[in-house]
Amino acid sequence: MADQLKLDTDAPAAAGKTRRRRNAGSPRGSAGYERRRSRRIATTWQVCILLALIAGMKILNTTSGNLVMPSPEAVFWQSVEMWADGTIPRALGESLTVLGLGFILASTSGIMIGILLGGFPFLGRVLDPYVNAVNATPGAAFIPLIIVWFGLYAEAKIALVWLAAVFPVLINTTAGISNANKDLIEMAQSFGASRWTLFWQVMVPDALPSILSGLRIGAAICIVGTVIAELTMAQSGLGGLMIKAGNRFQMDRYFAVVIVMMALGSLITIGLRLAERRLGRWRVAMQDGG
Amino acid sequence: MTETRPPIISLNGVSKSFKDGQVQAIEDLSFDVRPGEFVSLVGPSGCGKTTLLRLIDGLVAPDRGTVLVNGRPPDPTYNMAMVFQSSRLLPWRTVAGNIDFVLGLRGHAPKARKSRVQALLGAVGLREFAEAYPHELSGGMQQRVGLARALAVEPEVLLMDEPFAALDAMTRETLRGELLRLWDRRRMAVVFVTHDIDEAIILSQRIIVLRPRPGRIDAVVPVDLPEPRWQTDPRGLPAYADLRRALWDRIHAMGREGVALEELTGAFGDEP
Ligand SMILES: Nc1ncnc2c1ncn2[C@@H]1O[C@H](COP(=O)(O)OP(=O)(O)OP(=O)(O)O)[C@@H](O)[C@H]1O
Ligand SMILES: [Mg+2]
Repeated sequence: MADQLKLDTDAPAAAGKTRRRRNAGSPRGSAGYERRRSRRIATTWQVCILLALIAGMKILNTTSGNLVMPSPEAVFWQSVEMWADGTIPRALGESLTVLGLGFILASTSGIMIGILLGGFPFLGRVLDPYVNAVNATPGAAFIPLIIVWFGLYAEAKIALVWLAAVFPVLINTTAGISNANKDLIEMAQSFGASRWTLFWQVMVPDALPSILSGLRIGAAICIVGTVIAELTMAQSGLGGLMIKAGNRFQMDRYFAVVIVMMALGSLITIGLRLAERRLGRWRVAMQDGG
Repeated sequence: MTETRPPIISLNGVSKSFKDGQVQAIEDLSFDVRPGEFVSLVGPSGCGKTTLLRLIDGLVAPDRGTVLVNGRPPDPTYNMAMVFQSSRLLPWRTVAGNIDFVLGLRGHAPKARKSRVQALLGAVGLREFAEAYPHELSGGMQQRVGLARALAVEPEVLLMDEPFAALDAMTRETLRGELLRLWDRRRMAVVFVTHDIDEAIILSQRIIVLRPRPGRIDAVVPVDLPEPRWQTDPRGLPAYADLRRALWDRIHAMGREGVALEELTGAFGDEP
């Protein structure tokens, strides 16, 4: 009986002790610990896949020859050479000029027109079929027209990039504004907001996450548009470098350029996602389960 | 004395339907609210309580009948404020920013706003959360910000849509007290929607019982309990028990007339 009593009183204390000990192992709480753990496992896997790809390149290279697949070390040394002698930096500069200017023009004009169409829904409704028609046409379809109007050089390339990217930005902006939260609009009206205030202080901020995802889509399209412009108009930049290497079957050079393109695309997407997270802080936080 | 003044809110034969008349939310409803009066609306879910508040606030127009606030059709520039059923805070503004927003809408000078925001956050017990974003607050805290926001503009007419339903019992009790104290001092007219019979009795001077489908007035029950009620709890008084029973009988009668019972029990809790 006495033993029984002793056991009973001891049990919760022991349980408390083990719980405390387990917490000490992961001071930030087990949720954060789990997240870090799963991130570490994911990174390990990602490195493994990269190594497997390089090994695959090597195997394909030894079994099928340099033309089918250049050897990884050849690509590496070719990259070093092309960075060192200024070939890649120069091409990168050319591409970034077209990409950057095209994106800036597309995003500013897309947001401005999108806000206009969102603010005047009647105008938006009237223009809707035209916006959709141009948006649904592949950007490449406009190349001949752009060449006739703007020539073959930077202006024409920027025009193509702009044309391809402006519509996703515009459409997302308009959609974000016309889908703005009705409850919040009613709240502001109830406190006597003017139409102007309602638009700029409720509808446009509420559309911000949508605008930002439009920008992210637009940026991805800008990258594609830049390369297409560099291939089909006067060859220049990374696209030009790539097609020249390909045409001469210099597959190591070709791969060196493709790797730069991949890195560029990834960096831009990551950057925009970060911007999206920062500017749309409240939305992201809600999705994270806050 | 108050009876001689014209009503501040006056509804006359008001009907409102939605979806091209498929849903009759309110039918031929009339009542007045005197300046400084505290009126509660009770009734089962879907009987048009929120719709009534939106009509008074001028957010929707009636199909038939007239709504007058301060003798005129409701107009958003009139000093009226609503506490919504869900808090409806701007997610990109901080708690302080949300209150500041409506002060700006009502034309308060930027300099005066800051101290006012602080004072109101103090009143609802959220002073430390001034710089927090709404998503960082619990549902009950968000609701309190909604309350502070409405009180910030010092409305002549305060419309409240189940403002305390999402709160825990303790906070609810505190905020009821705060609301009564504020009302006692400022004497704005309050139209208070609730599902809770006790809450309606404790707070109001008059209770309007609504019945659903379509929303109509079932009974108007005056509450003759001593005031101010934030000083002495009326719940122990015999008159309180009588009133509560009378109200429950009205609602029970509604049940016998064919309103689904689950709706009623959901709305009013257990029979006393
Ligand atoms: N905007 C709307 N569109 C269509 N129907 C609506 C709309 N607003 C309200 N209704 C309908 O009108 C009726 C009354 O709705 P209301 O929201 O006013 O009820 P309520 O008494 O506030 O209910 P609850 O207690 O659940 O909040 C319901 O049948 C509802 O479906
Ligand atoms: Mg409601």
